[in-house]
Order: sequence, then C-alpha cells, then structure tokens
Amino acid sequence: MRQRTRSTLYRIRPESLQADMNEKVGVPYSLVRQSAKHRNLQFYDSFEWHAWKKKSAVCKRGSTLSIVSLKTGKEQASSPMRKSPSNFFASDIADDAVRQHLDSFTPLRAFIRLCRAEEQVDQYRILDDNRKTVGHLEITTLTLREKNRKDYTESFLTLTPLRGYRTDSEHVAEALQKAGLLSGTTSFSYIYNQLLKAAGISPGSYRSKPSVRLSPDEPVRESARKLLLATFRIMLANEPWLSRNIDTEFLHDYRVALRRTRSILAQLKGIFPPEELSRFKQQFRELAKRTNNLRDQDVYLLEADHFGSLLPAPLREPLGLFFDDLQHAHTQELRALSRHLRTRQHAELLHTWESFLTEPCQASGEDTPNAALPTSTVAVGTIRKAWKKVIRHGRTIGPEASDEDLHSLRIDCKKLRYLLEFFSSIFPKETIGPVITHLKKLQDLLGKFVDLSVQQDYLHHRITSPGAHSQQLPATLAASLGGLVTALYHERETVRQRFHDTFRQFDSHHTATLFSALIDHYSS
Amino acid sequence: MKTIALYSIKGGVGKTATAVNLSYLASHAFPPVLLCDLDPQGASTYYFRIVADKKHNSTKFLKGSKKIYKHIKATDFEELDLLPADFSYRNLDIELGEEKKPEKKLRRSLGDLSTEYEYIFFDCPPNLTLLSESIFTASDLILVPLIPTTLSLRTYEQLLWFFRENNLDSRKIKPFFTMVEKRKGMHRDITQEHTGKGGFLESAIPYNSEVEKMGLYRAPLNAVHPNTPAARAYADLWQEVLRLT
Repeated sequence: MRQRTRSTLYRIRPESLQADMNEKVGVPYSLVRQSAKHRNLQFYDSFEWHAWKKKSAVCKRGSTLSIVSLKTGKEQASSPMRKSPSNFFASDIADDAVRQHLDSFTPLRAFIRLCRAEEQVDQYRILDDNRKTVGHLEITTLTLREKNRKDYTESFLTLTPLRGYRTDSEHVAEALQKAGLLSGTTSFSYIYNQLLKAAGISPGSYRSKPSVRLSPDEPVRESARKLLLATFRIMLANEPWLSRNIDTEFLHDYRVALRRTRSILAQLKGIFPPEELSRFKQQFRELAKRTNNLRDQDVYLLEADHFGSLLPAPLREPLGLFFDDLQHAHTQELRALSRHLRTRQHAELLHTWESFLTEPCQASGEDTPNAALPTSTVAVGTIRKAWKKVIRHGRTIGPEASDEDLHSLRIDCKKLRYLLEFFSSIFPKETIGPVITHLKKLQDLLGKFVDLSVQQDYLHHRITSPGAHSQQLPATLAASLGGLVTALYHERETVRQRFHDTFRQFDSHHTATLFSALIDHYSS
Repeated sequence: MKTIALYSIKGGVGKTATAVNLSYLASHAFPPVLLCDLDPQGASTYYFRIVADKKHNSTKFLKGSKKIYKHIKATDFEELDLLPADFSYRNLDIELGEEKKPEKKLRRSLGDLSTEYEYIFFDCPPNLTLLSESIFTASDLILVPLIPTTLSLRTYEQLLWFFRENNLDSRKIKPFFTMVEKRKGMHRDITQEHTGKGGFLESAIPYNSEVEKMGLYRAPLNAVHPNTPAARAYADLWQEVLRLT
C-alpha cells in the first residue's frame, strides 16, 4: 500500500470563522480556494451499537456511504448510495468492501439512522513560495439537524500534508495557532460523540444481557428484584420496535428477556408471595405464546438461502411460493401482536410488574420462607440442583437419543444457563467463564437438533395441510418441501450422532471440577 | 510493479519531458506511480516545483527503501509521487563502486517500493557509468529518446555496443524519435527509415514549443495542454509502452 499522510483536526474558535485565513498562514505560505461543499450527513448504527463497539462509524455523506475508523478518523471503505433509508442491512449494500465491513459488524441486525446533520466544507490548497502544493486545508462546520433538538454546531479545521511536506503543514498550524484562530486539536471520534450527545443519544447504551452487580450477602429477594428489573428494562427497550419489524433481533431479545424472567420466577422458589407469583407467571407465559409463531417465521425467513442451498436447482424455485405464504402469515401475526401490545391489558401488566419490582415489598412471612436468605446461598443451591439435573438426565439418555430426551435435556440446560448468567457477578470470572463455555457447547448442539426437528415438523405439516392463501399445494412445491424435509432429516441425524460425544465432554471430570469450584466458592 | 527508464547518452533530447509526461499519464491509468529523478541536474524535480530536502543524498539513497521513503514527495497530481534529484547524486557512481554487486544494487534499494507503486520511472543522468548499468539491470524497459540526426543515431549505436560488451539484455532498449521537425529533410528521411523497424517504436514526439514552456508553468504538458500535438504524441507513446510492459 502507498503511504497516506495523516490529517490533523484542530478546533476553531467561533470568531475565527470570519477571519481571513490567507493572511494568517504565515510566510512563505498562501492559500488557494478550491471548492466549497455543502452536504447532508446521516449516521447509522445497529440497535446494539455493533459498529461503535468495533470503533467505527457508519456515515452517509452526500450520496456516499462510508465506514470511518473512530480511532484514526480515516475512511475505511466507501461506496455510492443514492437513497437515504431510515434503516438497511449489510446485505443491501452492493459494494464488496463496504458490505464486508458492515457484515463484520453484524450480518443480522439492521443499521438504523441515529441522526441527521449538515456539513459545510471550504477547501483550500496550501502553496509554498515555489507555488508548489504542500497540503490541504479544510474548514468544516457541522450542524445537527434533528427535529425537537436544539441546533448544535461544531467547527473544525483539517490540515492534510502532502507526502513529504509534514513540516510545512506543522508550520502552518503553528502560525494559525499563534494568530489565535485555533484552540487545540480534536478528533473525528470526539466530534461524533458530541453530535450524538446533542441528539440525545448515548452510544453503547443498550445491552441485550442484563448487567447487574450483585452482592453475595444481600437477601436474595433484593438480588432477584434487581435482576428482574434489569431484564424488564430490556423488554421495554425492545417493545416499541417490535411492530416496526426492522430486524428479527428486537423480537429475539424481547423473547429472551421474557424467558429469563419466567425462568427466574420458576427457579427461585419461596422468595415471592405465591399468589402474585403465579399470576405473573401465567401472564408472561401468555405473552410469550403470542410471539412464538412470529419467531418461528423469522427463523424460516432468515434460513431462506440455506433452505435453497439444500435443494437441487429445479426444486429451488417453487420455494418462492412457500416464502410468500410465510411472509403473509408473518405480517398477520405481527399485526396481531402489535394490537395486543397496545391493549390496556398489556399496559396493566407492565405497570403492575414494574410496581412489584420497585415498590418496597411486604416483610417475609410464611409464604416467602427463602426471601431473606443470602444471595450466595440461593445461587449455589439452585446452580447445584440444576447442574445435577442436567447430568442425571443426560446420563439416562440411551444410545438412540430420542427426540423427547433431547428436547427436555435442552430445557434443563437452558435453566442452568440462565441461573449461571444471573448469578455470574458474585463468582470470579475465571471460575464461571469456563463453566458457561462448556455448557454452551452442549447447548449449541441441542439447540441445533431441536431447531431442525421443529423445522421438519413444520414443513411436513405444511405439505399435509393447505397454506395461508393457496388452497391446494402445487405438486412442484410439495416436491420442494419434501426434498427439504429429507435434507433436514439427514442434517438432524448427523447432529444426533454427535450428541453422546458432546455430552461426554460436558460430563467429564474436568467440567465437574469446574462446577465444584463454583459451588464450593462460598463454603469455606 | 513495472520499471521504466528514460535514458540518453546525449543531453537535451527531451528525455525529462518524456519522463514527466509519461509518468503523469501512467498515474492516471495505473495509480500510484513514482518518478525517480536520478539526474543531478534535477529537471524533473524542477518541473514539479519540488525542492529536495537538505539531508537527502546518495549514501541514503543506496541504503534502501526505508531511507528512500522519507524523501519521497507528493506532486500536485494525486497519484504521482517523486523522489527528488539531489546534486550529490553525482557521487552515486563512487558510492556504487564500493558495493559488492553494483549493477544489482538499485533493484535491491527499491525493495518495498515495489509493493507500493504500480509503475516506477527513472529519469537517468546522460552518461554511461556504473549508475547507468545499475539502472539498466533494474529496469523492465529502457526508453531512449533520439533526435532524428546522424549524430544521435551514433549515440544509440554506442549504447548497443555498451550492452553487448557488458552482457546486458539489449531487448529492453526501445528507441523513439523526439523533437521531430517535419520541415527538415534529414528528420523526414531518418524517421521514415527507422520508425517501427529494428526495435524503434512507432510513436514519435514532434517538435513543439509548448514542451519548452513546461519550464515556465512547471507541470506536465499532458496536465495543462492535453490537446497540443506533442501532448497527443506522448499519449500515443504511453499506449505503445503499455503494450510492451
């Protein structure tokens, strides 16, 4: 690669914008005005800040989409983009370099517009006494353009020396600083952060996993309330986005938060009044049920390419009809869910749940015997129980590893996983980290198995019963679906064959030692 | 990376003008391009309004690309960089004489530059020395501008003789005519006899006062007046060179 010179950004004093720069650049330099550009800017990132976490900004400047490094301020890749969508996916971008960058941030989540701004750039060439260009000088004024937000403006000066002329550019900077036009250096990342701040956005604020620091000695009911509240915030963060159907992960995170909530309610026994507990459990179960079909449909739509690749070319095309029907059903299902989320009944649930978690609760009585136990005691007790259950259950699974066995083992694993994650903050990272890693390997296999089973069943059902708006299943589509069922069947059986090996690795002396260390952590 | 030398035993034949314009044209077609001004008179450097750093000298040049890097300067044209000439280059021969394999030294000195640039042009000093030999070894193509006169043709014969004596690959040598004045009988006769034959290129650069004016506006002719006859001839020459590399 050819060496590129690095630009330096300087903050300009507002009053300096009126000054005649040409008089201030110092002997023997002079400025030649090049061009002035006025462009609209839009910044994008995923809901989970994938680009920001990789120290990058996704920026549409004029009609160019570019990836900018927040560390260096340099453009990593760019491509023309005419439209200014409110959101888009990595796969929507035709240019290879830009798409690969976006894909490395997240292939799954949509890039959503964060804010709009305008920039006015005045460009100059810096000449020396030979009238040789030694660098470029740019004056940029950035203005936030968001409704209901105060106008925010930031001006800065960019000096970019040509190769071999860094000293000249330094001389110019010194002269401008001496003349009092500049006030120190700045950076792209600082300006970007200021702009977001002015737009009322704090980068990196959303996390799909609740991060709460628990204290081992605190009564477990307090810890549980904190965890449930953090999980509830995740639900609330995702809920307004569900009906907009921008990407599949809003629903996914929403469902995971729901499942975590239900799991903790089910597993931490004797800490909440049973009556209220069973009412909430019931209501959350119903809410989760309303999202089940939607998630399944999301998964099929995400797998569309994979499904196609499982079939020989002549059987691929008829699948279009299948996905059309699925899309149609998805729209209807989403409409129903959105309607439910707007009901008074749902608002009531959110309200009472939040009060339940935040208002001081009644002192522990007969119906909540464990409420005052230390968090560490309950953590160790429940984790031990859940772990033993996984091991005991896994060992009884015979060589044939039936569907039912694997299904229910998967649920046991999930329960254990949620407990480990909930209580992870009271255990040393080096103890709990490897435990989760080992469990995850087993879960990945079981998850794959169950997904493949569910998909097979669904497709089989689709062959034997009419679809959403096609009365009779065309023979070609039936053939394609039949082909898919076969392919998925073979895929699932390969996964099944791997079960015993994977379980043996989990049920090893090594993992047992790890779990014992975890469980014994508070016993000394 | 391709390396092209502009070489002539005789001065004042339009060697530097060709180096400047060809490297400029190359920087558009195959960016980025580096022009190394090895002629101590520094005409290429002057044409691009560049002044060499004071610390730049022949010893550093021979130490290889790490040292060379620092002295490369951007021209006013985006994909074209220049390694400025320095008066001390007149000592390059003496320095080379102390090297173990002087004829291969230049190629090695260029080192990493080969991954950075698509084309490297050498504007060579007008003499036959150890440096010339080193340049001949390092170049894929040696373009030799000749004014269509008998004296000029003699210098070309001398060059071929030098190649034979030193076991160099004379197939790299591509002579072509410059400063051709159609109204002169001798120019007409010589160009007719040689153009396109015996290794001579098809393209020829006509005499054009605009080429001389390059010293006034200090930029490639093809950047400032691309439609002048000489600029068009440079463009043709570049196309022909492109087919050879």
